[in-house]
Amino acid sequence: MREDDSGPASDASSPPRRVSRRSFLAASATGAITGLAGCSSLNLTSDETGDSSGSENATVADRPDAVYYPTHVDGMLLSGVRKANGYACALTYTMPHAFWLVTGERATRAGPTADDEIHVMPVVWDAETGQRLTDLNPVLRFRDGGRVLTSDAPWPMLAQQMGFHFGDNVALPGGGTYDVTLRVGAPAARHTGALATPDSATFDFSLAYSPKELDAISYRTLDQAGERGAVEPMDMTAVPSAALPKPDALPGRLLGTGTAGDAAVVATVLDDATRFGGDDSDVYLAVSPRTPYNRYPLPMAGLDARVGGTTHDLRETIDGELGHHYGAAIGGDVEDAPVTVSVDVPPQVSRHEGYETAFLDTPRVTLGE
Amino acid sequence: MSDGPSRGIDRRAFMKSALAIGGASALSACLDRTSDEDVPRGTTETDPSSLPERQHAWNDALARDDAGNPEPVQHRLLLLLDYDGDGAPSDADRRTVADALDALERAYAWRHDGLLSTMAYSPAYFDRFETDLPESVDLPAPTALASFEDPALDTPDAILHLASDHAHVLLAVEQALTGETDALNGVSVDATLTDVFSVAQRRTGFKGDGHPADNQDARGVPTSKPVPDDAPLYMGFKSGYTETQASEDRVTIESGPFAGGTTQHASHMRLNLEQWYEQDDREARVGKMFCPYHAEHDVVEGAGDNLGTDAAMSKAKPAAEAAETDGFVGHSQKMFGLREDGRPLILRRDFDSTDGGHAGLHFVCYQRAISEFVATREAMNGDDLAGDSPLGRRDNNGILQYIDVANRGNYLVPPRSLRALPTPRGDA
Ligand code: HEM
Repeated sequence: MREDDSGPASDASSPPRRVSRRSFLAASATGAITGLAGCSSLNLTSDETGDSSGSENATVADRPDAVYYPTHVDGMLLSGVRKANGYACALTYTMPHAFWLVTGERATRAGPTADDEIHVMPVVWDAETGQRLTDLNPVLRFRDGGRVLTSDAPWPMLAQQMGFHFGDNVALPGGGTYDVTLRVGAPAARHTGALATPDSATFDFSLAYSPKELDAISYRTLDQAGERGAVEPMDMTAVPSAALPKPDALPGRLLGTGTAGDAAVVATVLDDATRFGGDDSDVYLAVSPRTPYNRYPLPMAGLDARVGGTTHDLRETIDGELGHHYGAAIGGDVEDAPVTVSVDVPPQVSRHEGYETAFLDTPRVTLGE
Repeated sequence: MSDGPSRGIDRRAFMKSALAIGGASALSACLDRTSDEDVPRGTTETDPSSLPERQHAWNDALARDDAGNPEPVQHRLLLLLDYDGDGAPSDADRRTVADALDALERAYAWRHDGLLSTMAYSPAYFDRFETDLPESVDLPAPTALASFEDPALDTPDAILHLASDHAHVLLAVEQALTGETDALNGVSVDATLTDVFSVAQRRTGFKGDGHPADNQDARGVPTSKPVPDDAPLYMGFKSGYTETQASEDRVTIESGPFAGGTTQHASHMRLNLEQWYEQDDREARVGKMFCPYHAEHDVVEGAGDNLGTDAAMSKAKPAAEAAETDGFVGHSQKMFGLREDGRPLILRRDFDSTDGGHAGLHFVCYQRAISEFVATREAMNGDDLAGDSPLGRRDNNGILQYIDVANRGNYLVPPRSLRALPTPRGDA
């Protein structure tokens, strides 16, 4: 639904529209997904609208080499939620944004260009378990009528309010309605437990936006900008939480928690390694590096674990219960041996402001001592 | 396919090249702008054996760079053709095709600054016969080659690849093939290809220093026009060094009725040059195109004219090692391990394009068997790497991030003597 169309969320007597849409979403509870059917965009945030001219690309002069409060946070809009082959996908978007790409141990800033109209942020999750999927590299085709206008493969991305999503700035000819087909291929990480593992899935959206609507997206500057810390995760009614379980909520025997660089690292041991490809006598070591404060996964890293004199390559895995982690089936037990986890390659996930200076080194941490 | 925007919604005017537009007025516009309308005539009338039996034998007819690498032919036209007849083609139609193609070589010398071509036939074409192709020809129907891609699968009967350093030559050839003119470069043309075939699609493009920079008015290219002036391809690097290409011998079918022929793959992909130029930096581009070593040690100068005849790829670590230790891998690096006797299995003759109004690349390549192309593409996909390292399926995985494959087609390039409507047994 466009800003000025009438629909379930806008009636003349309702409070300012952002609040009304927000409460509409909240009120519709399970209806969050079905309730969207007739609407092409809904605001997902309740922040006040502010003047955002230019400042969404500012950065703090003195950034710590750690997670820090960004200069501001933005609202976002939802085009719709679709399901296919066991996955669900929400297409959200906001105004063009700066972000950082990570190549090896370098983070390079990608600012929006004059051509960019919109920042698309698809979120894909496993429909049954609600686990957000970090490993799919979707490609979006934007169509105008039958013709493909352009394609875009948004980057795997981490943001403080939103958590893991895919994101990119896209050059489009201007406001209007576009048919958007989003396709994901086979997952790159291992999917275990109840997680779906289709070879591909395609989601069709109709994305309607206007520059006016993008300009009106809420925007809030932060007093703590540059200080260590992170903005609270936003409550996205239509999309499952991006946070990993707290350490004591992880299944298995908690081996310990520690920090590697700025990342929190949790390790747990499951007695049954069979669903992770181990045999009957193996245990499964699951190592879960996550962002401090918000417990977001740190995907696309290279990790290994040294247990009792043997080094094990940890495989990136998304599990219905453990969520995103790196794991290995290990013969015998890790009962008495401490586990030393090394980050060989920093998480290659792209980052929004506040994450770009963290998680770029290759530290190690010993757990269970 | 070579259509510009159909609605007035584009922010900037899309400037199409004359070749992309096509037709008689484009030809005259093109001739008006050129001072090189004198193109060498063919020698087939005096010396019919002056043409190689291998249609894909272009290398001896190409210009060379300072290092001795073949230079790309600058302008290209791909005509996707549907045979108008039902069932097996008639001898009369076969004669028409033979004559129409022969006329081209009487008119223009078999050289980069004359005209080079290959005429090839699809699995769909051979389906019209009762007999199958022999074992010596590996020509499956095209399929998607990665789980994340969704290409249209092309099924024309034939594809004619035409190449010349002069755009006006290609436009004039197209006029002759479609019966719009009966004289080509002073040579009379008595047969019309489109009496037998319909043109299902025309695809056009360019390659070589300066052409991509001159063609930045297309979607997929930022308005900052970031393509370097001297780049031979949109992505800024030279491609096709002598040692990074299969030899013509290596891609030639060795036995059976089509000995002397080859197979051809032709795909079309859209390029995201905003990500490539405005989001990634030069170091990332070099690393993702070649290998992390080249990025770290600044091995590539400009477009890579300093890379000799082998792109210095022996410096690259095995892709699996780079994936695990560097966190990203280069495009060439992933395929390096497939080299046989020091050279790849496929001979690339790809080129850039603005077809569909979008920056793109027509990946045309030749190999003895389509399975060798598929193996090469599988290496480029790096599925095994992505499954067991920090690499994503596309992200940090060579150049997969920046390309969206829109079309794929497979073809058999018969030897020249069988290039007119061949039968599966090569007996007509
Ligand atoms: C946008 C598309 C592409 C661009 C811009 C591109 C460009 C390049 C460049 C610059 C190189 C390094 C220089 C050289 O060796 O030529 C290269 C190497 C190579 N490319 Fe591509 N390429 C593209 C797509 C493909 C595709 C689709 C394939 C086939 C599956 C392919 C196969 C190869 C091979 C076999 C090599 C040489 C590997 C070796 O050194 O052993 N390329 N490409």
